[in-house]
Amino acid sequence: MTISTESIEGGITRVLLGGRLDIQGAAAVDLRMNVLAGSSKFLLIDLSKVSFLGSMGLRSIIIPAQAVSRRGGKVALFSPVPMVEEVLKASRVDEIIPIFHDLNAAVAALC
Amino acid sequence: MLAKPNLHTHQAHAAHGEPETLWDHPQDCLELDSKLSELSRVVPWIETVADRYSFSADSRFAIQLCMEEALANVVMHGYRNEPGHPIVLKTSVAGGSLFFRIDDKAPPFVPADTALRNDTAGPASLETIQPGGNGIHLLHRFAESLAYDILPDGNRLTIGFALPVAAPATSICSENQASTRESEIDES
Repeated sequence: MTISTESIEGGITRVLLGGRLDIQGAAAVDLRMNVLAGSSKFLLIDLSKVSFLGSMGLRSIIIPAQAVSRRGGKVALFSPVPMVEEVLKASRVDEIIPIFHDLNAAVAALC
Repeated sequence: MLAKPNLHTHQAHAAHGEPETLWDHPQDCLELDSKLSELSRVVPWIETVADRYSFSADSRFAIQLCMEEALANVVMHGYRNEPGHPIVLKTSVAGGSLFFRIDDKAPPFVPADTALRNDTAGPASLETIQPGGNGIHLLHRFAESLAYDILPDGNRLTIGFALPVAAPATSICSENQASTRESEIDES
């Protein structure tokens, strides 16, 4: 599992995740995700390189999103592959954290 | 869209008369210790099984997802994260489906009351949603069939996935055994 960040327009921190967000993958990124959640007001979690997502991986998304929201910030998900998006929809996470496939739309929603 | 699976609960699986040898094929068996770190061994094992039957990438995703959720449930809730307990995985083919059987010796649980409930409650808000608890829901969503058996000394969860149409016809089950298994899954 890989994790990197970049700052994009509007003060948004884009978090680029890559690999399998399974139990082991979630454990590998949880600390970094939580640190980012504590220091970013607008978080765009880029899932385009995530090939697998399980319920423990969902936790790695939901918990930081809650932390950002509690501080008045916003979180969005970007470009999950179809089966990862299916997991997000099956767990209804998409109803509380918006999913975008267009970067401009994601930026507009966060700012 | 994936079909909603059937869930069947049985008491004392042996009462169905299914011979234990049905699943006893060395390459289709994997024994794990009750630790989450053991799940890393399951991923390549599933890929090997999926290769044999030419499962698509999406079906492999569904199998990996269901197995991770089911096994995490056994380790974290069944064995309460206590290592040193067995989990035995076996596969079989019957009635056009590939079945993964998960046996453990954890205390029994009742699906209708707890873990295998298919919760269809409305969505929570970001402030109130529980970060956990999605595993069983995902299991229901991505498996073709689920069957739960209470064993004399543990639990058995059997998860089925439809074989690809062009999958090899080889099966470790005899025709008679396959018919037995199919009827068991279909009854409700």
